[in-house]
Amino acid sequence: MLLVAPAVLLMAVFLVFPVLNAVYYVFVDFDGLDTSPPWVGLANFTELARDEQVWAAAWHNLIWIVLGTVGPLVLGLGLALLLWGVRRGSTFYRVVFFLPYVLPQVAVGVVWGWIYAPTRGWLNRGLEAIGLGGLARGWLGDPDTALYAVLGTAIWTATGFVFVIILSALRNVATELVDAAMLDGANYLQRLRYVVLPQIMPVFLMVTALTLIGGFAVFDIVFVMTGGGPANATEVLGTYAYSNAFQLSRISYGTTLALVVTALAVPVAVWLNRLQRRASLEGGGA
Amino acid sequence: MSGARRAYAPGRPGVGRTVALGLLALLTLFPVILVVSTTLKTTQDVRANPFGLFSSFSLENLETAWTVGDFDSYLLNSVLLSVPSTVIVVVLSTMAGYAFARLPFPGRTLAFYLVVFGLLVPFFAYMVPLYFQLRSMGLLDSLLGVNLVLATTQLSFGTWFMRAFFSDLPTELEQAGRMDGASEWQLFRRVMVPLVTSGMGALAVFTFLQQWNNFLVPLLYMPGGGYRPLTLGLYLFIGGRSVDIGPLAAGTLITILPVVVLYVVLQRQVTQGFLSGAVKG
Repeated sequence: MLLVAPAVLLMAVFLVFPVLNAVYYVFVDFDGLDTSPPWVGLANFTELARDEQVWAAAWHNLIWIVLGTVGPLVLGLGLALLLWGVRRGSTFYRVVFFLPYVLPQVAVGVVWGWIYAPTRGWLNRGLEAIGLGGLARGWLGDPDTALYAVLGTAIWTATGFVFVIILSALRNVATELVDAAMLDGANYLQRLRYVVLPQIMPVFLMVTALTLIGGFAVFDIVFVMTGGGPANATEVLGTYAYSNAFQLSRISYGTTLALVVTALAVPVAVWLNRLQRRASLEGGGA
Repeated sequence: MSGARRAYAPGRPGVGRTVALGLLALLTLFPVILVVSTTLKTTQDVRANPFGLFSSFSLENLETAWTVGDFDSYLLNSVLLSVPSTVIVVVLSTMAGYAFARLPFPGRTLAFYLVVFGLLVPFFAYMVPLYFQLRSMGLLDSLLGVNLVLATTQLSFGTWFMRAFFSDLPTELEQAGRMDGASEWQLFRRVMVPLVTSGMGALAVFTFLQQWNNFLVPLLYMPGGGYRPLTLGLYLFIGGRSVDIGPLAAGTLITILPVVVLYVVLQRQVTQGFLSGAVKG
């Protein structure tokens, strides 16, 4: 009892209390100063539904969720298959590919800003080198590409995470079955599709759920790299909630947005929870 | 049969595979290489050729970041925000994890729901009201307030993580301890805790990295800028009108170097922590 008390106390004060407050903020119009803010019922929600910027931001989140999930899954699976069974140097590769996931997002944003730089940035240089110099541009400054540029960075970060989880799942794949399929004349893709993937499917689905959830709550990397600009081209629900609450003093509205973002991720979280009962992550790092 | 093995689980990679892996590793590391290279260039070289790799050598960017760029105090603040909050998380999680795994106590179910609640609700959901709560508690811009908030964001996960370690211990140990007349506290402190030090270590490393990398919590609750950590310092540096790439690279290097070193040395614990931590979403 006494052993749990300090943890429970901290959680009550810095978690439960603010969550309850958040629920209260949603139904009032709080400007940060008013000690008894006026009750507005569901006005924050109706405004949210009519706010075009919310829909634009939600659309960006949707793009983010789709590409930010598919990208790391495909790349992470590819990398894991490439390294599967390799012994020499396997620790080195694992450390390297997982590294981006461990770095602070702010630092990641800084460096990728240089890679995307309009003049002498490495992406433009690389394009010129392969004869595609015509595509060169300021990737983060151009509203047509900014969202995808930030996404590219996010994919760079998340791929290592997917890779490590899938690689550890591959360790448990029964290689006899793969061998047998090969003797039966199945080619690489057939073996992958019918023998390997079914065996790692639970883990694969779990990673999918995890990256999906990440897509709803994306904030840091966008905030650091573009701040939602240029011309709202990268505004996601997270950055929009932040700017409402902390820059426009529309505290109740920002809180409502943040809670809606959280609520949207709940069904995925529940699905994830179901998956986890079937596949355990324990020992994944070993 | 040996041919089949090589196709899917070879002991030694073929040339093509080695080349592909090497190139991909280089590509993955490129941004980090770029930071190191830019940091170590001379000021003139950065101005003339900002992103050329290793085209000159000097430590002036590090010096500028350290002295003019305030990265010395940002580094100190990062330590002041990461270390205490990590200690709080590890100590309280170990205690609570033990209680949940081994002791019956009144309100246990309710307390456990609290832990699960913390695992499910992201910081994002309550960051706004927490700002005003801290303001009225006088904890904005304070090391105490921000450390407590940082600790709380990881506490649910820590408790859940440590509980698993205590659950795995055989019950005979406890019985033997009780037979020897150890008090509950002695049993916990002298018998159980020494058996989960590996778990505590993994939790400590993981939590430390999370706190070190945390950007949003200090951004929101250090509005006055008294104790800006590296992540926030770096962000303000890019926000400045004239971005000086050399010192910015140096600042980035100072920010990521402890992370990279800790990760490379303790990669097993770090990876384990991050994989279990992912459950938090």
